[in-house]
Amino acid sequence: MTSSIQFRSEIERRVAKSGLVLPDATLDELVAYLDDLHAAALEEGVSADEARRRAMTALEESAFSLLQRHAAQHPDRRQAARADLVAQSAGGRSLNVMSAVRLAIRQFQQHPSFAIVTVMVLGLGVGAATTVFTIVDSVVLRPLPYAQPDQLVTLWDTNTEKGLAHDPLSPVNFMDDRALPVFKDAAAWWRPSVNLVDPGQDPVRVTTIEVSGNLFEVLGVGPQLGTGFPTGGPLYVTNELICVISDRLWRTRYSSDPSIVGRPLVLNGIPYLVQGVMPAKFNYPDDIDVWQRLRWPMERHSRDAHFMEAVARLAPGKTIGEAQAAIDSLTARLAAEFPITNKGWGRRVIPLLDEQLGYYRPALMVLFGAVGLLLIIGCLNVASLLLTRALSREKEIAVRVAMGASPRQLIVQLLAESAVLSVAGAVVGTVAAIVTLPLLVSMMPVTIPRLEEAAVDGRALGLGLAVIIGTTIFFGLVPALVLLRSQIVNDLRTGERGSSRGARTIYSVLVVGEVALACALLVSSGLLVRTVSQMMDTPTGIDAADVVVTSVQLSGRDYADWRKTGRVHGAIIDNIRRQPGVIAAGGSNFLPFEVGWRGGFGIAGEPAAARPEDAPQVQYHSVSDGYFESLGAALAQGRAFAPTDEMDTAGVVVVNESFAQRFFSDGRAVGRVITTTSGAIGPLGLNLVRIRPRDPGTPPPAANAPPVHTPPTSFEVIGVVKDVRNAPFGQPVEPALYFTTRQYTFREQFVTVRAADRASAVAAIRNALQQEAPNVPMGVARTWGERFSIRTAEPRLLMTILLFFGALAGLLAALGVYGLFSWSVALRKRELAIRLTLGARPAEVGALVVRQSAILVVSGLAAGIVIIRLAEGALTRVVFGVSPSDATALITASSLLLIAALIACVPPALRAMRVDPVEGLRAE
Amino acid sequence: MTKLLLDRSAIEAAKKGSADLFILALLDDDDHHGYEIGRQIELRSGGDVRFTMASLYATLYRLEERSLIKGRWVEKAGQRRRRYYRITDSGRAMLATQREDWARFIVALTQVAGVRPA
Repeated sequence: MTSSIQFRSEIERRVAKSGLVLPDATLDELVAYLDDLHAAALEEGVSADEARRRAMTALEESAFSLLQRHAAQHPDRRQAARADLVAQSAGGRSLNVMSAVRLAIRQFQQHPSFAIVTVMVLGLGVGAATTVFTIVDSVVLRPLPYAQPDQLVTLWDTNTEKGLAHDPLSPVNFMDDRALPVFKDAAAWWRPSVNLVDPGQDPVRVTTIEVSGNLFEVLGVGPQLGTGFPTGGPLYVTNELICVISDRLWRTRYSSDPSIVGRPLVLNGIPYLVQGVMPAKFNYPDDIDVWQRLRWPMERHSRDAHFMEAVARLAPGKTIGEAQAAIDSLTARLAAEFPITNKGWGRRVIPLLDEQLGYYRPALMVLFGAVGLLLIIGCLNVASLLLTRALSREKEIAVRVAMGASPRQLIVQLLAESAVLSVAGAVVGTVAAIVTLPLLVSMMPVTIPRLEEAAVDGRALGLGLAVIIGTTIFFGLVPALVLLRSQIVNDLRTGERGSSRGARTIYSVLVVGEVALACALLVSSGLLVRTVSQMMDTPTGIDAADVVVTSVQLSGRDYADWRKTGRVHGAIIDNIRRQPGVIAAGGSNFLPFEVGWRGGFGIAGEPAAARPEDAPQVQYHSVSDGYFESLGAALAQGRAFAPTDEMDTAGVVVVNESFAQRFFSDGRAVGRVITTTSGAIGPLGLNLVRIRPRDPGTPPPAANAPPVHTPPTSFEVIGVVKDVRNAPFGQPVEPALYFTTRQYTFREQFVTVRAADRASAVAAIRNALQQEAPNVPMGVARTWGERFSIRTAEPRLLMTILLFFGALAGLLAALGVYGLFSWSVALRKRELAIRLTLGARPAEVGALVVRQSAILVVSGLAAGIVIIRLAEGALTRVVFGVSPSDATALITASSLLLIAALIACVPPALRAMRVDPVEGLRAE
Repeated sequence: MTKLLLDRSAIEAAKKGSADLFILALLDDDDHHGYEIGRQIELRSGGDVRFTMASLYATLYRLEERSLIKGRWVEKAGQRRRRYYRITDSGRAMLATQREDWARFIVALTQVAGVRPA
């Protein structure tokens, strides 16, 4: 049959020369024809050469282009040809694309698994990206609902010596700031705790600020009802008490009754006239329900009293930099002019949005970056899927090129396929985002400002779609270019085609990219894990997870007398102790982690500071007897407060260990005497002098009168308590003085109750209040454990999300490694077979695959570490107590990824080891 | 044997137009495979009508597409497999029509152009 083979190859050659690919059946027929012709010639008696010549002539005179049409009719070419014919005959561009899309859809219906996987991966990416972008947009990017919000800034005091970076302002200094020409206007407020008592309704605590009359003008917001504070009116009016309430209060407490305007509201026992209701969702500065107009002149207060917050609007054309510079020179002037009160104090100007977002802006940006990485990894995975698929269709594409399909038509077809996939993925992802977002918002354990307004909107969708469609089309195009550009060259040694080699390089790059990004994500989540565990391990000095905490405020006319206030607070605590189930109870004006008032002090017997402002500053706390016991704080020396430490007995004080170590170098604290100068300790704090028994003839001091400087008073140290944390995470505990509430009363105290169970504690508080202070509402009761977890909620949330993303990314990267090496082993069967034939042991071949994958993964890890370095700036703002280049996190993440990738390349390695050398050599 | 005295292009056109007729007529008698069809037509026309390999099969495929003939693979003992073609019913109908048309055409040639079979 040698002649048949010769004829066949001749026919194939000629057919190929005319640019055709004929089905095997047709070739068989043609070969049969030539055979018959040859045989017939031989039968006639001609020579073999002549017979052959006749056959060749018949072959040469055949115009194979005649068979073009019919080659296309063969069943396994039908689909491809149909599209091309339609395209060619139609000529119109739109028909081209539409038929390509229809064809793509049909093909996916026939082989759905690839399409489903791709669409799912894309949908995941789009869904995650859209959700996170919506959240970031709603919380961070959206402008504040005030007029020209980028011109609004907040002001804060700083003092590097005292370690203060974000302190409230003194009202007198504020008035000087306000006068600067760089500000158009500025408003300031402070936060009294206010009880609202309406006839016929339960007394309730309302979050209130007493604010200068121009706040709403500065913000550029007006009331929805009523006139609000008079525009252009004075900052304060002493004898006209007006307020404005929030929409929320109006709806919940007054059933949106419009006649609330003009009605008096009894706040702390004093009637304020309601002048307006603010628009819905307006609660500036945060969660405020009542805005009282200031009743006293700020410039006549003390430069030493730091208790106010402020917002300012920049003058038109002025920048924050100019404002900061103006304020800096002002503070320098004030420090020179008023050294006693202003030396060392600076002022910070912070844009309003940054102030409002606090932790969340950097956290959300990190999250946004993380989800972006996840999206990229998803796209890389899809790209490798598309690449593999394109290469498996090499033959089909080659046929179509041979049949005259122009590169343009092919590209249109491949793009149509990518477009169908990306649109489907985008639809899936968008639906997922729309469904997931409300769920996520409702499940959020922390209150993130402005989050409740997040709703998937056009911008988020547009972003998701743009990314997905752009990426998919790009990665759909790359395989096309790879295929069209390269020659199909057989590498004799490995049996690989040139196009496959190019594809393998691209695929390898994709996998390295995936590993790098997964590494970055995993390391970030590792850092957050470390942050959270550092937070959880921070010593607090107390053991109070189940201690119930609530706040009680005694204010108004009923409690104008300080003695009564102190007495009633004491009575409440005593009453609680007597209730069933209560183990210990106490009160304090500051809870752990909160920073107390700061003030100077002296030690009797030691030289006083040369000037009062040189006196060391420590924290001032006021706690009741029983407080330390209720929280489980331990004593290091001496005793804690007792009910016998009364208002009229000698002054006593407890210091914390930090204080004792810093100021009592000999270790002897108990018995020493501390002296204080009264200075302003908050707006309402009063010292021993003011509450000493006074002559019956002298009138009691006005409740809101500014404190005056008085001669120092002495307190004997009766005990040293082990440090109870009085600073936020990451900052050291500060030395502190604890006074007894009986001698150093505040209107508001946090009541802490340790009881058999939560219900007993809450009941005890309620009963005690009913008996001792019937008109006084109870604040929200939470356990200390709940409060503490709220403090750590943001980093924990971020950690959870990043861990989830990191795990997902790791999985995708491992899948990428698996895919690459499976495919690569399949392609290199011949090379592996040769190796085996030449004497390599299967284990060596397997090790070769593993080694090559390890190289890829290690490259990816190195790239991932570089990415982390680049992101260090962003990461520093969300982690505490751990550096972004923390070795533990890096090593853990890298190891996990390496292990995952190595596991992923085990099946391909095994397959490589099991290649049958004989079959492998025959594979080509 | 009909020696057509028309000029070259007309004859070529006529040949092309009659290719279907030749094949259908041949297959009307009996089933044949490709080579045999070409050979028989060449023989019976005295060499006047000859198909090249490509044009033969192009025509066969075209007829098969229009369901006028049907091909099937046959493997006889000791021989290579070949594809045999058979005329279909619609092929026979077409053949009858074409015979009629050509007969009338020849009558017209005879009566008008004075063409006479040799």
